[in-house]
Amino acid sequence: MDEFLQSLIRGLGNGSIYSLLALGFVIIYKSTQVISFAQPAFMLAGAVLVSYLAPAVSFFGAVLVAAVVIAVLALGVERTVLRPMVGKPVFVVAIITIGVDVVVRVVTNAFIGLDVRQVGDPWGLDTISFLGAEVQQRYLVMIATTAVVTAALFLFFRYSRIGLAMRAVAYDQEVALAQGISVGSVFALSWALAGGLAALAGVFVATGAGVDQQLWIVALKALPAIILGGLESLGGAVVGGLAVGVVESLFGTYQGDFAPWLGPNFGLVAPYALMLLVLLVRPYGLFGKREVERL
Amino acid sequence: MSGKRLAVVFVGALLLASCRGGDGAAPQEGAGGVKVDAGVTSEACPNAVDKSKGCIYLGTISDLTEGPFKTLAVPITDSQKAFWKRVNDKGGIGGYEVDVTKYVKDNKYNPQIHNQVYQEIKGNVLALTQTLGSPTTAAILPDLESTQMVSVPASWTSLWGFEEVVLESGANYCVESMNTVDYAVDKMGVKSVMAVHLAGDYGDDAAAGAKIAAEKRGLTFESVTTQTGQDNQGGAIDAVVSKKPDLVVLTTGPTDAAVIIGQAAARGYKGKFIGTSPTWNPGLLKSPAAPAIKALYLQSAPWKAWNTESVGHTAMRAALPGVTPNDGYTAGWVWAYPLKAALEKAVQNKDLTRAGVLAAARQLTSVDYEGMLPSGAGNFSASPQEGTFRQSLIYRPDDAAPTGVSLVEEFFTGPTAKDFKFEKPCYQ
Repeated sequence: MDEFLQSLIRGLGNGSIYSLLALGFVIIYKSTQVISFAQPAFMLAGAVLVSYLAPAVSFFGAVLVAAVVIAVLALGVERTVLRPMVGKPVFVVAIITIGVDVVVRVVTNAFIGLDVRQVGDPWGLDTISFLGAEVQQRYLVMIATTAVVTAALFLFFRYSRIGLAMRAVAYDQEVALAQGISVGSVFALSWALAGGLAALAGVFVATGAGVDQQLWIVALKALPAIILGGLESLGGAVVGGLAVGVVESLFGTYQGDFAPWLGPNFGLVAPYALMLLVLLVRPYGLFGKREVERL
Repeated sequence: MSGKRLAVVFVGALLLASCRGGDGAAPQEGAGGVKVDAGVTSEACPNAVDKSKGCIYLGTISDLTEGPFKTLAVPITDSQKAFWKRVNDKGGIGGYEVDVTKYVKDNKYNPQIHNQVYQEIKGNVLALTQTLGSPTTAAILPDLESTQMVSVPASWTSLWGFEEVVLESGANYCVESMNTVDYAVDKMGVKSVMAVHLAGDYGDDAAAGAKIAAEKRGLTFESVTTQTGQDNQGGAIDAVVSKKPDLVVLTTGPTDAAVIIGQAAARGYKGKFIGTSPTWNPGLLKSPAAPAIKALYLQSAPWKAWNTESVGHTAMRAALPGVTPNDGYTAGWVWAYPLKAALEKAVQNKDLTRAGVLAAARQLTSVDYEGMLPSGAGNFSASPQEGTFRQSLIYRPDDAAPTGVSLVEEFFTGPTAKDFKFEKPCYQ
């Protein structure tokens, strides 16, 4: 039972990271219909920034500053690089985001230097007794933070004026424009939100062993999460991210005992297998919008 | 002439130019009656010390921007620039100086890009002072052989011992892991071994060495393949924690290793880890996994660390003032010695063509590493069985040391590596 609980918390902790990243992907997709492949770079940049700021302004101050700075950076990228592409095929814009990702990562890499950098978080690998099992504190922090961030996002989209505007743009850009909503501001804000979330995710990844330039690879786990949850659903992103984390962790712990014939490392493939299963039953993901097309 | 005709003539000229090829230059007589062909000019090098000397151009293909080994590749490349500058300062090689700054290319650790940039520079260089990575170098190997381009690898796979054109240095991953297992048996009394390794010939070669040693010493052996990425180590951690081997031989990247060691220790694993040299980074000593790393981890190495007192190490530190100590610098410096020896031998033979350099390299019975490797290292004239260097070292994490490690065991050859017959690369 202890082992199960540990594996579950580990999965939910890692899943929280995937959820934060997936939320960023979905927020941008909802407003612009583009999958932004620049998320990995913002994640890396956030973690690196914290590694520089933490000694000066404490870990928590650094996380706050980094989230804001990366949000502003993402907003700047949207205004300068992507705004001129409004109206162009989304495929082209998605390819441009790959270019943005490479540029931001190469610049960030120059700041990593030769040694693995540390973000200076207070938890380390310390454990705490949770429902009778020893689990790492940082996983509980990740889960709690993601819960708070998700709740805040839901309130923002439901009750704030600009949040409502973002939903309106997601629903129909032209109608929203006709109602006096600044679609451009919505695009920029969605990039900023996604940037901030990616920075937070990057810091959480780095709490385990530090920041190296390969950190960005983690962001790719958000892709099965968003497909699983449905590309247009914030709730789906959170559920998808957590599901990916939990499935990965439980398979890692138990598959060797129960299904060794699947080979080692099946845990890494399991989220994708789950994604395929879900897509067989629900082609638009768990919470995705069913598209109706008239022919 | 009409526009169309002009275009036809232009395209024709382009075709002719492209058919000419870059690397098939006919041998000529150079400075001091030495025969030369591609990559050697009678004009001085850019930034030459002595403008009256000719120039030998050497190429570098490394992982310089966004690939996974950038943190090693950049110091390796910088170190080799410093190495060849020292050679030039000391009078160059024959009537020539050496340039390693003009043809430096980034492979992003991608075999396809590696091949592409190699094609771009191959007509202009005599040899490669660095071709980083095993899979990347494998992508250009047939071409290196057909053009007789002598190349210095920045990797330690046992395959290199079987390749005529490759001038490798130090123990390969396979030997290093054999020695690691032998060391752990003799000094720690381990009875079971698990190799946790990346796929590809870096990890596979080390795992093969660990397996050979485990079989020879009568240990139980298990191999676990893992992937790069901090979030991808769950399977490896679970395997270590559930199987509880006495020794884990690690062949991964540094943060992967830190995650595996830190998490396995946090989950109660109390055995030992020994990692091959690319597994280490001094930054890990400040990571949350540091207590576990200091308690459980040792590192094997093909040569001595940055702060060692030897003629070569001292010269290297003097040539690289103000840098953050990193054993990438040490690696780059050590790897350059055999090529220097081959070039000197080729000048002595009065044949500095590609074929001449290859022939000279294969005449080397030992290379003077200025104390960075023991005497006898660098026998490129012998068969792989005779020539493979079989000594490695063991280090432990140490906060006080400049590169975060201090010496535990001097150069040694374990019984497995001593008796092993090298008839093919270990991982094949």
